[in-house]
Amino acid sequence: MASILGDLPSFDPHNFSQHRPSDPSNPSKMVPTTYRPTHNRTLPPPDQVITTEVKNILIRSFYQRAEEKLRPKRPATDHLAAEHVNKHFRAASSSSSTQGL
Amino acid sequence: MFTSGNVTARVFERQIRTPPPGASVNRARHFYENLVPSYTLYDVESPDHCFRKFTEDGLFLISFSRNHQELIVYRPSWLTYSTTDDSTTTLPPLPRRASKFDSFFTQLYSVNLASSNELICKDFFLYHQTRRFGLFATSTAQIHDSSSPSNDAVPGVPSIDKITFVLLRLDDGVVLDERVFLHDFVNLAHNMGVFLYDDLLAILSLRYQRIHLLQIRDSGHLVDARAIGYFCREDDELFLNSSSQAMMSQDKSKQQSLSGSKEDDTGENGLRHSLSQPSGSNSFLSGVKQRLLSFIFREIWNEESDNVMRVQSLKKKFYFHFQDYVDLIIWKVQFLDRQHLLIKFGSVDGGVTRSADHHPAFFAVYNMETTDIVAFYQNSAEDLYQLFEQFSDHFTVSSSTPFMNFVTSHSNNVYALEQLKYTKNKSNSFSQFVKKMLLSLPFSCQSQSPSPYFDQSLFRFDEKLISAADRHRQSSDNPIKFISRRQPQTLKFKIKPGPECGTADGRSKKICSFLFHPHLPLAISIQQTLFMPPSVVNIHFRR
Repeated sequence: MASILGDLPSFDPHNFSQHRPSDPSNPSKMVPTTYRPTHNRTLPPPDQVITTEVKNILIRSFYQRAEEKLRPKRPATDHLAAEHVNKHFRAASSSSSTQGL
Repeated sequence: MFTSGNVTARVFERQIRTPPPGASVNRARHFYENLVPSYTLYDVESPDHCFRKFTEDGLFLISFSRNHQELIVYRPSWLTYSTTDDSTTTLPPLPRRASKFDSFFTQLYSVNLASSNELICKDFFLYHQTRRFGLFATSTAQIHDSSSPSNDAVPGVPSIDKITFVLLRLDDGVVLDERVFLHDFVNLAHNMGVFLYDDLLAILSLRYQRIHLLQIRDSGHLVDARAIGYFCREDDELFLNSSSQAMMSQDKSKQQSLSGSKEDDTGENGLRHSLSQPSGSNSFLSGVKQRLLSFIFREIWNEESDNVMRVQSLKKKFYFHFQDYVDLIIWKVQFLDRQHLLIKFGSVDGGVTRSADHHPAFFAVYNMETTDIVAFYQNSAEDLYQLFEQFSDHFTVSSSTPFMNFVTSHSNNVYALEQLKYTKNKSNSFSQFVKKMLLSLPFSCQSQSPSPYFDQSLFRFDEKLISAADRHRQSSDNPIKFISRRQPQTLKFKIKPGPECGTADGRSKKICSFLFHPHLPLAISIQQTLFMPPSVVNIHFRR
């Protein structure tokens, strides 16, 4: 028993303090070593909230694909969503068509 | 090691072994291999009704009277009888009094739903399980040449004078609420035009291209949630009306101020007036169409990074097809979750006729909250097929009914997946195969039977003759075999839709439909010849 569990670290020092051996005639001298972290790197970030996804996997993949497709390939198209897109586009098209000609 | 097919062994096994986590229902369903509806009462004396279906929880059997005016609801029960025959070796025949329709089904009530010139649509029934409400539809005759004065109707779509949706509490047959659609067309066959998701109801008006979203309240009221079509948000109409009024008043003030030079101004004013009526003329595209077109545009725009190429591909893929896209109409709608709709678009011709195979069709995923199109696919799109193959269960999601989660699909059953892969490899052209598979999208609501006898991990059967899908089939003369999956040589039971077939009129084609109870080993098969109303009703059950 001691050999199996003795080396395992424990977070709470009070763990195993109530431990009674099953055979009282042969009391074990096991004192469990306690793991006391000296840093808090293992703590979760304070703003972390774990929840289930609201959208199911099918809808998520629809969105993923849409994101891939609608992601602009050039930063210049970023202001597509802006209000004067139409003008931009027409200007671009006319200039390109004249270039083509 | 412990997989004995013996029912006693299974009961013992159930005592000593816990099933793997999450598999308890599947394990319990193994018992259905032992309890099968193998005994048949042929041509049972039964009331002459159209039997529609068992509700998903098995509490009610829905049927309609032959004149399509009344709804008759039965409670399935199990037959009890006593007999003096004590022969133990062979099963005695059932006493005559026991082998009747009445000993399996108790009539709860009969309600008149339709008035004189209306008929209950016998292909339409939706069940709201949590509140035990049933949704029925009645309609007047269909008018094909719809020459009505309303100009925002889609030309070419037939018109029905009056369609009434009736919400009824099935426990006692009280009509709770009604919703009437006048001079409209909703595809009622096989629940095509209506979809129920939890308490949300989507009714697609084909004629006015509007998706009516209603909510079924616990009190039994049908409440309008929103209508998607010409407008996308609830306040769109208000906004457009107020702005058009502003424009009108602008025009008027302009007219007054420029009353001196009237000749020059009339043309401009006339144009303005015609534009400023949002619903009267078709000068605006509908809201959904607008969203769709802008999504297609942006998708093509982002495909190319080079401007010249971009314009080229926009010309080729967008402007060239612009009118085709504009002419698309909504064919069918389903919920994917409470926010998302899967909408099928197509040409006017394909929306009304059944054989829509050769018409081009498109699928769009629409977010109702943001009013965005999320995805757009052609009906030969491989992308969409891949999603369909992997996540088919998420397309079929309809309600929280426990039995419905176990309906076999190719994404939850390895045998069904094997079958799908086999047909995929066998098909000559992949795109044809994709089109064929995507025909089933959007799914019709509540069109599958949750009966465990259609669970393909338990039984193997010929899907051409019988399946979970709620369809009439051509009756075959041979009995339909249900073969065990675990012992592939063992025939578990047979279902024969008619008494010793091959009777005198072998020439007349017989139509057969099967109604399986969702959890009892009980099924009804109804066999009809095309023009002979008295149908043959057989009851299949376990003795």
